[in-house]
Amino acid sequence: MRMDLVLELLDVPGQLVSVLEPISGLGANLVTVIHKRDYKNENGMVPVQLTMEGKQEDLKNVINRYEELGFSIIEIDGVIKKEKISTILFGHIVDRDLRDTMDKINAIEGVLIVGFDIKLNGEDKSTALINVEADFGKKQMFFKRLEEIAQEKELLVINEV
Amino acid sequence: MDECKVIIMGFGAVGQGVADALFMKKELIKEKTGFEVKVVAAADSSSSAISAEGLDEKLLVDTKKNEGKLSAYPEFGSDKNGAEILDAVEYDCLIEATPTNIVDAEPALSLTFKAFEQGKDVVTSNKGHLALKFKDVVSAAEKAGVEFKYEASVGGSMPIINFVKDTLSSCDIKSINGILNGTTNYILSRMTSEGSDYEDILKESQELGIAETDPTQDVEGIDAACKTVILANSLLGIDATYSDVKVEGISKITSEAIELANKDDYLIKLISEVSPDNLQVSPRLVKKGSSYDVSGTLNMATVKTDLADEVSVIGLGAGSLETASAMLTDLISILKNKN
Repeated sequence: MRMDLVLELLDVPGQLVSVLEPISGLGANLVTVIHKRDYKNENGMVPVQLTMEGKQEDLKNVINRYEELGFSIIEIDGVIKKEKISTILFGHIVDRDLRDTMDKINAIEGVLIVGFDIKLNGEDKSTALINVEADFGKKQMFFKRLEEIAQEKELLVINEV
Repeated sequence: MDECKVIIMGFGAVGQGVADALFMKKELIKEKTGFEVKVVAAADSSSSAISAEGLDEKLLVDTKKNEGKLSAYPEFGSDKNGAEILDAVEYDCLIEATPTNIVDAEPALSLTFKAFEQGKDVVTSNKGHLALKFKDVVSAAEKAGVEFKYEASVGGSMPIINFVKDTLSSCDIKSINGILNGTTNYILSRMTSEGSDYEDILKESQELGIAETDPTQDVEGIDAACKTVILANSLLGIDATYSDVKVEGISKITSEAIELANKDDYLIKLISEVSPDNLQVSPRLVKKGSSYDVSGTLNMATVKTDLADEVSVIGLGAGSLETASAMLTDLISILKNKN
């Protein structure tokens, strides 16, 4: 069987070699590799597209080996890996049109709210925990857009470090 | 035996810590550098003690503690203060530990420039002049051909500036994220462990002497922002000043926010972010069990590098002897370079 992968690599010498080695080493075959060093994504990493062929077991071993080596796999067979992001909002969340806030977050490309928990404090400001799933690599864009939404609604955002 | 005459300007917690530490480590400094360190003057905000023959470090601290001012130092007490002390006695190195002033950086700025003009090395724990005029101060030192060291200005005893400059010298520094204020870390840690409100813990921290009577500098993130500027300039080469930092303190953090964060296995910490596209102090979510999970008055910093990936340091961010340890380390490295 065949498998298409997209990996993120640091732009330092030797990275591509260490990605290619496990393929033959673990009994799979490399079909194509696309490595454009002059393109960097928003994390400052270089994406590499690979297609490899082999027995399912061998391909699985290659994936496991990549995870051991700490390579980020951002796409397998066209399915973009998601990351979970938690964020906290504080302010007059309900009064400043909660529904609109959620719509605006969901309107960010590749981002979906999957969890929402709010603590109300009478007339005072409330606190909400929002969980979103974002396509790999969209995190910084999400933070930036969320900051804009929060500013417009005078909310304090507490983001992941 | 070579001699190194020092003047200690500022005799609060840090200045006294330096005197105590010098008393304890004289032999060690002699062994490591071949220099005998002698305190020829020490000054608080209104008075001083001056003797070219050298003062007794223990007696300086006792005089300040018991009499409230250094002019009460037997025989060598003086009403001289401020910059005139730098003219009153021959010295080699100024140990500058006056309080941080984020409005006009005085008296640290004038004292430091004067010492440079006199061709003297300076070791400082002060953040004001570095946060407001980093480039000016550092280039003045270079022009004067003297050494200027400021490890104690960030993170107290936690090594960060010399650590990155010397120990990680093979690496390019991409960014630094850290907890650079012990008081707010203490308050947030207690809010987390006890589920109490911000105001209650702040009050208790003030009673314990961990937070100051006017806690603004700490809780509104001003202190952390100064340190952010110092790291940006000294380690990432970013020409920034205090007003370039986006600052949000911890005074809006509620126990509800901490509780909600806890649900997802997060803690809330006041994080300084130092990167070429963002200088920011703000409350952030950090994973429990991660390197950011340090409690009490501890400071930490994670340095992102090109070769060594991430390296983290942890240490006590404040305290008299702790901060003095960083100043003594700076003094020792200056003396080592003289050999």
